[in-house]
Amino acid sequence: MLKGMRIILCVLGGFLTITLLHLWLNIGFDQLGLTRGGKKETTFRVGYLPVTCHLTCPVTHWINKNMGGESIYEPVRFSGFPEVKEAFASGYLPGTFMLAPMAMALRQQGVPIKIVYLGHRDGTAIMVHKDSGIYSFKDLKGKTIAVPNRFSNQFLMIYKGLRDQGLSPKDVKILEMPPPDMPAALYTKSVDAISSGEPWMAKSEMEGYGRVLYQAKEIWPNFISCVLVVHERAIKENPEWVEKLVEGIGRSGKWLEVGTEHRMKTAETVAKDYYNQDPKLLRYVLSTPPDRVTYANLALLRKDFEEIEKLAIEAGIINGPVGFEEYTDTRFSDRLQVIKPYEWEGPQ
Amino acid sequence: MKSRFEPILWPLLVAALFILFWHLAVVISGSHIFPRPTQVVAGMVELIKKGVLFKYIIASLFRVSAGFLLALCIGIPLGLLLGWFSRAFQAFNPAIQVLRPISPIAWIPVAILWFGVSDLAPIFLIFLASLFPIMTASIAAVQNIQVPYLRAAQNFGVTGMALFEKIIFPAALPQIITGVRIALGVAWLVVVAAEMIAVNSGLGYLIIDARNAGMRYDLVVAGMVLIGLIGLTLDFLIRRLERLEEIRWGFNQR
Repeated sequence: MLKGMRIILCVLGGFLTITLLHLWLNIGFDQLGLTRGGKKETTFRVGYLPVTCHLTCPVTHWINKNMGGESIYEPVRFSGFPEVKEAFASGYLPGTFMLAPMAMALRQQGVPIKIVYLGHRDGTAIMVHKDSGIYSFKDLKGKTIAVPNRFSNQFLMIYKGLRDQGLSPKDVKILEMPPPDMPAALYTKSVDAISSGEPWMAKSEMEGYGRVLYQAKEIWPNFISCVLVVHERAIKENPEWVEKLVEGIGRSGKWLEVGTEHRMKTAETVAKDYYNQDPKLLRYVLSTPPDRVTYANLALLRKDFEEIEKLAIEAGIINGPVGFEEYTDTRFSDRLQVIKPYEWEGPQ
Repeated sequence: MKSRFEPILWPLLVAALFILFWHLAVVISGSHIFPRPTQVVAGMVELIKKGVLFKYIIASLFRVSAGFLLALCIGIPLGLLLGWFSRAFQAFNPAIQVLRPISPIAWIPVAILWFGVSDLAPIFLIFLASLFPIMTASIAAVQNIQVPYLRAAQNFGVTGMALFEKIIFPAALPQIITGVRIALGVAWLVVVAAEMIAVNSGLGYLIIDARNAGMRYDLVVAGMVLIGLIGLTLDFLIRRLERLEEIRWGFNQR
């Protein structure tokens, strides 16, 4: 069986080559053992999706890297909330940005999750096709609306809007759809309305076929969509990291609020390096109108969450009250009394 | 001389016609979304310029190789055993048939829970996807060995390890290789689903991320084309194995 031995050796040799190449190019020999117990956690992983709601995550990393040379935490990009949910629940992701109702529902199911800060305010809309005759919730009766997930504040916002005009979710067809697919669905008129975080709403507007039906703030002032959550274990074992993280998010939020110039610089770099998106899109979202999405006032306020909780129970996505103290840990947000923006003027 | 170039000429002609048809279809339908062949090539050039194309190909190849080889090491011996010992087959086959139709995408939550967001999760998914074709082919290969061979071996007093080495394994090899070829195709097919799990390299990741990055469908199709071409190469390599004498006898090829 000499020939057989030769073949086996060739195959193993090929595999070894590919493995070494992979380690060299993609992982870097110093980072082996990146699994849970593998090596001492010198970086704190924070998950995010390439959406404007989560912008403060890469921005904080970007500013810290440029100002101090390193960042204690490492942003990890995900492509959908289900994977975020699983990675968090299994303990591999100590912190992440997540939909607020999803965090509440997870808490109710026993996952040791704690909301510690907000991601942003506003930054969501309901878009319709510009040729449709839809101008209010009443016109949406019998139509199809796409939302990212039933555990999203977009769904609750639509529920609230319908309720305030005397309708109920039963009068419309709600469809769960990944946000990146929504602009195309609206373009081909396969759905009548779409709602998710930016930049998907702005994309349909920018490309000429979408029209804003309602901005989030018209239905729900000071709308919250995504929140920063951490695992209880992270709070217990590394509270100083959580504190630095919250402070970082707060300061980069303030930095983004300083003015359009900071936002444009963010669009240039973050869009390309962290989001892999066209900078044009992010520039549009961050400026048209200038308060389309805001990154200030990110402290946890009881009344915001109790409002979400009440709507969620009414809409049937959580089974009963969860309790503000249960799913939040306000000590980090409370300690951040005066937030000063980072003093950095961006890449020169 | 004609017959030397023919094997390349015909497929190239088909490919050229296909690309022409693709280009015309996009132009005539006036689609904004679906890319033309030229845009796809431009997308690939962009990836090469960014320096990520080779990295991504290696990453996907690594994961597929690791999962596939693991499936070979476990699937072939297990398949041979289950094919030979009929009581073991009776005991385990139902369980195998239950697990077999479960799509790798359904295994994603389990993969994340057990292996986190490292390379191990996609490797696990690819391993699962490749295991069942290999095992099924190996089991069938052993069960289909012609009885006369076994009787003849008995007459010559061949038993035990020698029986395995000289009769059972060579007899089963052609069908095992067919199973291996199918499994490699499946493994490479599953790489897109397997790389949905927040790895940040690879051709499957390229496709999913290009779609999330807002209408980079030229990159999506570029990823598809690359996956197809590499799949073609892998299949070609396996088919060369089939030309070996030890295997060719089982196929009666012209």
